[in-house]
Amino acid sequence: MPNSAVASPNELYDVLSSLDGALLSREERARALDRFFALRSGREKPGRFWRVDLDSVAPEPGAVERSSAGLQIENSDSRVLVCDLATAARQHPQLLARAFATTGVKATKFGALARAFAGLGAFIYLRADVDCNGPITIAYAPPAGAAIFPHTIVLAERGARATIVERIEGGEGAFFCGTSEVVTEERVQLLYAVVQRAGTGARVISSRAMRPGRDAEVAWASAELGGDLAASDLSIAIEHPGARAEVTALFFPRAAEHVDVVSTVEHRAGEATSETLVKSAATESGQARFLGNIRIAPHAQGSDARLRDDALLLSRNAHVDSVPALEIGANDVKAYHGATVGAIDEEQVFYVESRGIDRNAAERMIALGFFEPAIERFPTESLRSEIRHTLAEKLS
Amino acid sequence: MPEGLRIHDLRCSVDGGEILKGIDLTIEPGRVHALMGPNGSGKSTLAFSLTGHPKYEVSGSVLLDGEDLLALAPDKRARAGLFLSFQYPAAIPGVKVANFLHAARQAERPGDLPPAKFRALLLEKMDQLGIDPSFMGRYLNDGFSGGEKKRLEMLQLAVLAPKYAILDETDSGLDIDALKDVGDSIAALRASDEGRDTGFLIITHYPRILQYVIPDVVHVMIGGRIVKTGGHDLAHRIEREGYDVLREEAGAVA
Repeated sequence: MPNSAVASPNELYDVLSSLDGALLSREERARALDRFFALRSGREKPGRFWRVDLDSVAPEPGAVERSSAGLQIENSDSRVLVCDLATAARQHPQLLARAFATTGVKATKFGALARAFAGLGAFIYLRADVDCNGPITIAYAPPAGAAIFPHTIVLAERGARATIVERIEGGEGAFFCGTSEVVTEERVQLLYAVVQRAGTGARVISSRAMRPGRDAEVAWASAELGGDLAASDLSIAIEHPGARAEVTALFFPRAAEHVDVVSTVEHRAGEATSETLVKSAATESGQARFLGNIRIAPHAQGSDARLRDDALLLSRNAHVDSVPALEIGANDVKAYHGATVGAIDEEQVFYVESRGIDRNAAERMIALGFFEPAIERFPTESLRSEIRHTLAEKLS
Repeated sequence: MPEGLRIHDLRCSVDGGEILKGIDLTIEPGRVHALMGPNGSGKSTLAFSLTGHPKYEVSGSVLLDGEDLLALAPDKRARAGLFLSFQYPAAIPGVKVANFLHAARQAERPGDLPPAKFRALLLEKMDQLGIDPSFMGRYLNDGFSGGEKKRLEMLQLAVLAPKYAILDETDSGLDIDALKDVGDSIAALRASDEGRDTGFLIITHYPRILQYVIPDVVHVMIGGRIVKTGGHDLAHRIEREGYDVLREEAGAVA
């Protein structure tokens, strides 16, 4: 774990004037940086198992990457507008403004940090009723040791359908602090998958928020598979009835890796459903923490919210904290929560062994199977195989 | 001719209490032995002792065609040719039936069937057992009914075609149709090239299943010992008289 000494605030403020003024003015950036320093992360404090203080995490001023190197966009559907953030700010400012900085992520500590240094990123605009062919892939691969602050902004008009895959790759020792904001109109169907495979020593902090329209079906699917520190916020604010929201997260810290995932589903309108599924494992000295928030507002009658999280502990020093937090203000709702934390069941191992499969392979098979219900919610067979393969490597 | 599954003076303790008190039994290749007995007599303990469940402390000797079974880990016992149909099979969520069976077949008979042929074999055996092909994509025993689990055990028996198969109360909880399918499946295995020499130990509480799989030898276990061995007619006698008469006879002998 790299030592995350607090950088001198002044040096970070000095960097701001060299950034894209068309996207955000120096003053807006400075106000965001003020918020970053003023706000608390609200995250786990160092203790018996957890050793990272997220309140003292900050980028090195000299590491701030100003080029847009490391951004790759893949999109095979010409009806969909996909461009980098700087282009969007210059050529489509009205469209961008309908989604950028509209979800509340900028009010969080790391959302504010990402805003202060905004520049790198992608904008995806789906016109009404466009059914996008194939997934749109946005890949961020920072140079080793660099600090990047990517923003992925999605605006989907009524009835549009798309699958978006964000990849975070490479970048040994890199610092990644990014946001995703997804705003949809009614009847949109949108799956946003994240596969995080940052390099050794990397710190990856992401704040992601969605605002689905009426009768929209939206989903996060997040796999935190790399980096030494991964802190991820996945939130969906339901403000219109008929919405269906799904949050899936899987993670697997090993060695000294730390993963901190917070999911938040806010039912602010009734007659909407949400389903959160989290599967995690930890091995060696891996540490993980999951906080699952479900909030149902007093007027959100007819809400149906489910939260399921299961954690598998594969070594004595591994640790997973799982905290469900349900705040239910309405009385005519369905809310379900279930959680398990434990080791692999010996009866399962014996059953698999009794079919000629050796103990190591049996444990690997059972652990991979444990993740499968979450893996199945990711798009495309090649992405699912990649996740299985990466998990299998971590298990061996 | 292989020597058989030869069990000699097998004793087993769990948490300090002796459950098996010296079992002698030989299952010859191609023969069907039934092991009957009341609940708690040690039948399932025998099955787990032979297959290597970590909870059981076992002494004595068990040779599988000459190989010292008790020295082997459970997976190696299976690869030596031993199979157990579990009374309560574990569910393995996230592991699909087809993938599991392929992994098991590969472990026990490495490289003998290319995937396409394996799939054909699987479909054929599923058809024989009245199992819907959609089972291949379901998670192993996860959310299965009791009857579905037992059919899946029989499917594994058919696909793995072991040298020696122990069926632990496979009949319990099955209706007549399912029981008949189990019987047909065993008959089909015994009629196949792979399963011609499979020796069976069918553990059961009730004689019912023995109408569908006719045993060559019937043993009765009471209190951790085999108290009587006979032919098929012994099963009929138990059906008529129950275990009490045998228990009294055993008591008189002991």
